[in-house]
Amino acid sequence: MRYLLISWCFLIVSCGSFSKRQQLTEQNTSTEIIINPYFSDASQDYVYKASIQVYNNNFGGLLIVKKIEDGNHRVVFTTEMGAKLFDFTITETDFKVNYILDELDKKLLINLLKTDFKALVQEQSVVSKSFTKDNYQIHQTSILGKKHFYYVSEQLDQIIRTGYRKEKVHFFFTDISNNIVKNVSIAHSNIKLTINLKSIL
Amino acid sequence: MSSAEADALKSLVKQQAKTTKTITSEFTQYKHMDFLSNDIVTKGNLHFKAPNLVKWSYVEPFTYSVIFKNETLYINDEGKKSNIDMSSSKLFKQLNTLIIKSIKGDMFDTEEFTIEYYKAGNNSLVYFTPKEKKSASFIESFHLTFNDKGDVEIVKMIEPSGDYTKIVFSNKVLNNPVSDALFTN
Repeated sequence: MRYLLISWCFLIVSCGSFSKRQQLTEQNTSTEIIINPYFSDASQDYVYKASIQVYNNNFGGLLIVKKIEDGNHRVVFTTEMGAKLFDFTITETDFKVNYILDELDKKLLINLLKTDFKALVQEQSVVSKSFTKDNYQIHQTSILGKKHFYYVSEQLDQIIRTGYRKEKVHFFFTDISNNIVKNVSIAHSNIKLTINLKSIL
Repeated sequence: MSSAEADALKSLVKQQAKTTKTITSEFTQYKHMDFLSNDIVTKGNLHFKAPNLVKWSYVEPFTYSVIFKNETLYINDEGKKSNIDMSSSKLFKQLNTLIIKSIKGDMFDTEEFTIEYYKAGNNSLVYFTPKEKKSASFIESFHLTFNDKGDVEIVKMIEPSGDYTKIVFSNKVLNNPVSDALFTN
């Protein structure tokens, strides 16, 4: 009876997994590491005009990303007039708040930004499974203990973070040349939050 | 700068402020952060109308404007319009108050800042350091450069980390007609 129950649980989990739901075809792959090259050049200042929609409010600013060294990025958000709203250091193993405006200093918000920006800037991730669908090679990896699916065609086009077998956050990378991504969209499914980034440099 | 020179600067700026009803100017903003390879440069226009209407219009590399009017910020972000209560944007408020005060010439009398005076060629450089800790937590010091006529040419806001925002004014015109309509979003 116990075995039956365990098998049944496995069946539910596997039937409901994100890859099954999306009808991804699992395949053997030689890809062990998936690379996100978009914030990987330490000589480059990555500066974006950011537009954030939270529920029905819009606000904007500048999002600045800089690779300091391997596995170490600064992510800073300022108003258009230059006032810093937050300033984070994201490393392989650590996340540090260098500055955050008092009004934004909320644990829930910081955790959300940490999870999104970690996935945005992480350069190398270990692939646990690979799939195909349509023209995409899809690589599953884990970032901060959460499942992420990297959709790669000729380049990395999308990252999908899942939770409880459903899509939670969808990163879209468009207008890409020489590993510079001009447009990034980060759309949350479970809360009404979308961050759009447009390169200005 | 001697105290006599500082007094002369103060009275020059006050005299200039009394006669200034409008200002139209171009500006270039440099956002300096130590970890960046280059400053982030943005450009636009400033409009001021006495006693307290201010509009900053960025035109490069994006279009964005913010109007300071009656304790509210009216923002036009590439066509998307929104309002912000100024109490939630202390830095905006402080910068704006300082700009207006510098135009009116009454900031030298304020108890808010510790003030230091320096010469810089024909110009004068004045450091305003907030005494209050709350504001000092995001701005360490404001540095204003005045030309020999008592006009503000450069505003530099320095953060405790040493990073700063520098705004350089150019092609400044005083007392040309400026319509109120410009300050509606």
